[in-house]
Amino acid sequence: MPCERKPMRYGHSEGHTDVCFDDEGKCIVTCGSDGDVRIWESLDDDDPKSINVGEKVYSVALKNGKLVTAVSNNTVQIHTFPEGDPDGILTRFTTNANHVTFNSSGSRVAAGSSDFIVKIVEVVDSSQQKTLRGHDAPILSVALDPSDEFLASSSCDGSVTVWSIESQTQVAQWKILQKSSDVSNAKSLCRLAWQPHSGKLLAVPVDLTVQLYDKNTWTHVSTLSDDLITQVVNVVVWSPCGKFLAAGTVGGNLLIWDVEAKLCIERQKHEKGFTVCGMAWHPSGVRIAYTDTEGCLGLLEGVSSSSPSSSSTVQSTKATAAKEKNDYDDLFDEDDDRMLDEGMSDSRSPVKKPVMEEDDDDDDLMPATGRPRNRGSFLDDDDNSQDAGSVKLDGVPEEDGSSAILPAVGPAVSRPVYEGPMPTQPQRAFQPGSTPVHLMHRFMVWNSVGIVRGYNDDQDNAIDVEFHDTAVHHAMHLTNTLGHTMADLSQEAVLLACEGTDELASKIQCLHFSCWDTHKDWIVDLPKGEDVRALCLGQGWAAVATSALMVRLFSIGGVQKEIFSLPGAAVCMAGHGEQLLIVYHRGTGFDGDQALGVQLLQLGSKRRQVIHGEPLPLSRKSYLAWLGFTAEGTPCCIDSEGVVRMLNRTLGNTWTPVCNTRDSCKSRSDHYWVVGVHENPQQLRCIPCKGSRFPPTLPRPAVAVLPFNLPYCQTTTEKGQMEEQYWRSMLFHNHFGFLSSSGYEIDSEGQSQAEKEQQELLMKMFALSCKLEREFRCVELAEMMTHSVVTLAIRYASRSRRMALAQRLSELALEKANQFQEEELEEEEPTYQRGSRQMSSRQAQVENGCEEEEEEEEDYPQEEQMDAEESTETRMPSKYASLLKCIKITVFKEGRVNPFKVSGAGKSSSSPAGQPRTTNVLDSMTVSSRKPTPLGGTSKQGKAPVLKPLAPKPKSKTQATLLQMSASKGSSKKLENSQTEAEKVKPAPAATPPASVENVENRKPKTGFQLWLEENRKSILTDNPDFKEMDVIKEGMGRFRTLSAEERLNWTEKAKGDSDPKKRKREDEEQLNEQMESDEGSAKKKKPLDTSAKLSAFAFNKE
Amino acid sequence: MDPAEVEFLAEKEMVKIIPNFSLDKIYLIGGDLGPFNPGLPVEVPVWLALNLKQRQKCRIVPPEWMDTDKLEEIREQERKLDTFTPIPSLYYMELTKLLLNHSADNIPKADEIRTLVKDIWDTRVAKLRLSADSFISQQEAHAQLDNLTLMEINTTRSFLLDSLNYMYKLRSNLQPGRSQDY
Repeated sequence: MPCERKPMRYGHSEGHTDVCFDDEGKCIVTCGSDGDVRIWESLDDDDPKSINVGEKVYSVALKNGKLVTAVSNNTVQIHTFPEGDPDGILTRFTTNANHVTFNSSGSRVAAGSSDFIVKIVEVVDSSQQKTLRGHDAPILSVALDPSDEFLASSSCDGSVTVWSIESQTQVAQWKILQKSSDVSNAKSLCRLAWQPHSGKLLAVPVDLTVQLYDKNTWTHVSTLSDDLITQVVNVVVWSPCGKFLAAGTVGGNLLIWDVEAKLCIERQKHEKGFTVCGMAWHPSGVRIAYTDTEGCLGLLEGVSSSSPSSSSTVQSTKATAAKEKNDYDDLFDEDDDRMLDEGMSDSRSPVKKPVMEEDDDDDDLMPATGRPRNRGSFLDDDDNSQDAGSVKLDGVPEEDGSSAILPAVGPAVSRPVYEGPMPTQPQRAFQPGSTPVHLMHRFMVWNSVGIVRGYNDDQDNAIDVEFHDTAVHHAMHLTNTLGHTMADLSQEAVLLACEGTDELASKIQCLHFSCWDTHKDWIVDLPKGEDVRALCLGQGWAAVATSALMVRLFSIGGVQKEIFSLPGAAVCMAGHGEQLLIVYHRGTGFDGDQALGVQLLQLGSKRRQVIHGEPLPLSRKSYLAWLGFTAEGTPCCIDSEGVVRMLNRTLGNTWTPVCNTRDSCKSRSDHYWVVGVHENPQQLRCIPCKGSRFPPTLPRPAVAVLPFNLPYCQTTTEKGQMEEQYWRSMLFHNHFGFLSSSGYEIDSEGQSQAEKEQQELLMKMFALSCKLEREFRCVELAEMMTHSVVTLAIRYASRSRRMALAQRLSELALEKANQFQEEELEEEEPTYQRGSRQMSSRQAQVENGCEEEEEEEEDYPQEEQMDAEESTETRMPSKYASLLKCIKITVFKEGRVNPFKVSGAGKSSSSPAGQPRTTNVLDSMTVSSRKPTPLGGTSKQGKAPVLKPLAPKPKSKTQATLLQMSASKGSSKKLENSQTEAEKVKPAPAATPPASVENVENRKPKTGFQLWLEENRKSILTDNPDFKEMDVIKEGMGRFRTLSAEERLNWTEKAKGDSDPKKRKREDEEQLNEQMESDEGSAKKKKPLDTSAKLSAFAFNKE
Repeated sequence: MDPAEVEFLAEKEMVKIIPNFSLDKIYLIGGDLGPFNPGLPVEVPVWLALNLKQRQKCRIVPPEWMDTDKLEEIREQERKLDTFTPIPSLYYMELTKLLLNHSADNIPKADEIRTLVKDIWDTRVAKLRLSADSFISQQEAHAQLDNLTLMEINTTRSFLLDSLNYMYKLRSNLQPGRSQDY
């Protein structure tokens, strides 16, 4: 079934409602228990016209520009339509009328009341009344037959009666309904309906069915029912063609029958299952409006009324032909259109659908800031030639093959009118944060500083200025003698402006309340014929865009400053600090889109244009709804689809959607009215508006805070979520850069926090990708990390046994480190440069060392010696050592990176000689990965189960392997430190729990040579009492070399396994000792897990 | 416990205010409050809200249940049922009184709300009296009353306990064995 149920929207407060269409079907008219009659341009009309007609409205009928309502003050009133002016009282009852209805010509109104009486009144002369008495209970419903001969009424007494109007007598009566005492107790509203045109059949909802009675014989002809109906039928309506009958039930079912075939062709269910109490068929027959007892209005769209599938192909061709004809009819006929339609209803009604799409499209085009119905006339113009064309073009793409019947192109080919994209009505200029000008009580502006309200009613024409922070200024009340319609508010001033009239020029008034002299305000007249369109305030300046396509700048004290021309009519402006943001019409938009351009100017000392009139991106078929800056000064805009976009200064001033307020709306017709955007903390401050785009001034609306949410893909998955979070954090972090570059103070704590958050997120994503075995992705992520975090990533990778990844990362880290160093070099003083040069020279040496090592098999002592040598060689004056200590950790990181390079080389070379080295390096990696966990990786650890099984091992290995790492690293200055100082001071630093760099250093010298040196230091010193520490080492090295290979190996073993507990206990921590031992065990166990099983085998052999 | 004490306890309830000043988070023993941003709703205890209100530093946002429609519904419910209905706030009476006395200008339809809450209160207290009456007249040993608020319990406690004591004394005097003591 091609029928589409549109979402319900809020129409009235809860209670009984009724609905009808106007004669042309342009408007939906509803009434409700709130006493209002509302005129909706379409279902999406955000600003329906409201006419208050009484306390409660029970029924509404509309014909020939007369709106008849049954009101709770026991009268039936007439209002003019669409103006809504009262046009007298048609008739009165002793209690309220329950149902009013027109006859087909609109000359008479029938009304049934709770005082058991039915009245028929001539519309033009209300004195001509006919009263029908005979019911014994309140009247539920009345219906006039098309020939004006009979009237049918249903009543709570359980009867449906047909009256002859002329004679005012009962013609027929059926006791078919359930009796009840009052309308409120009645099971069903029992709305009767005569078949249009012929009036041959009278439809009566009886219980779960609809019964049809014949007019001539007054006999029951047929019964329409459906299995879906479980509750009483409330309302029935005939299609304008008289071929179909629609019914709404208490249970919220909506059904349409083909009466002749007695086939139910359409079954729909109210989205919440509320009682349907009002239904109306659009004059064209393509849609049905219905209302429920909760005050909601709904629409069934595309009620194609085609008979079910019987001969779809035949029908579609027929329909096409008919449609073509229809289109031409549209072209040349105006009022006859409907008549024709009815006349050839059989084939015509199905194809009317595309033509009647107009309401939706109209609405999309219409900005809500003004009165939509007064503008956009090019579309809902009465001129059918225009109408048909535009509507067709807009309507067809949306239909998108919802029914096979419409060939989109066929009829269009022969059409003589223009059928390209239709231009959009350019949206009007507006002030961000204001409600429509036509309202009597409105917000002229609501921003982060305060609220300016305008009152324009009978007694008062005034402006209230109120500040959120009373410390800025106390509230002000001004009489609005000039009739200001625009306002802006800043910490310094209130800027007001009005458009010019015939006599008076357009004026700008500024209340500069922060002024220190006595004259707090100034007024400027614009040249004749030039009107203010938009205005804004910045810090120390005011800007006004005028109808002469100009922007005028003023100082806050009233000095005229620069003026410049705009390429198009201004839409709105916003100011913040020294920035001025202007949005204007860049050209004509088509098919509902606006073509807006944006300029961002930097005023103040650095005058320049930041954005040079580039197009402002908006959602499809939407218009700009808000423009402004975040509290931190980033331009931001919001379109009518609720999409919030923020300028991304780091990506070439592009606009990034950061939030869609419509996602948070409960209902389709709800909106959020934005009053402020904050980047730190991330808050979108807005006012939820139920059933409208903007809030009323009373009751005072409350501000709600929405979170931002970038529309990233797959945000339900962990990956998508983290990506969204990361980029959101990046985007909302941009303002720090901007603020500091333009010389403002920044919240450095917030900045570092944001940076930390980003790196943490990257690390989490990295861990996740690792888990998913996406190593390439890991590297990509690592590229986004700062290089200190990359080292964490390396540790993570190596611990989760991803050697290839770790290797790549180490290359990356090196690159990053170099980059970092280059940057540093540019900034840092020469002493530091020397240090870093030192570092790089050391790197080279390490590699040398590695190569040499390959030659000399598993010769640790040898290596150690070389290290020591290198350290002495590269040793700097003593002041250098102290300098090193204060070098940032990042520099050390670089040192730590190098081993990976080495390891990579070692691993790739298949010679067995290279392997011991590799083992070392691998160990050291696993080791070091232990260390970061308490620092930054706690969360990561929790997330990645991969880490858990490994946890015990690294602990035991930590220290033992760190030594080797230091060894492999060769001669770092750290090593030098450690070799000398750490030896002496060992116990203390080893005990300090945090894994600081110092700690690492202190544990390094646990090598064979070191142990040997410890033992032999005394003898060296006794031999050469005047030796300094350095010399001791040199001498020691010399002596160590002279030892036999076996002895040296012994020492190495000792260093590894620490087979000399006595000594160690004296000098070192017991804990360390244990760890060493357990390391042996764990190393054996774990190594097979390692990438190279060979290595472990080697380890066994060695021991 | 006198009503003032109950009111004191009620002042710990949280209520939303819209401050018109700006202040960082304040750290109190009972928890952190704020930060206060002008124009942005923030939850604070009633005592602070009233204090700020008296100094004209904020507007109080009435609690959700302080709305004529909701209260009317509760009143109807309360009248319909014989037992006590659950009340939206355990301190509805105290809060209504406090908020309406100090910030009636921030609460729409303050007078109606006052009447409605009073109606609810009266209905409930009448029920309470009725149940106390039947409790005594039927000489029950115990009774269970759900959904009573502290204030309601407080209104009847002293009276009920005292009268029960007296009745106990009187009854025990009636017993022949005891009468000789006097």
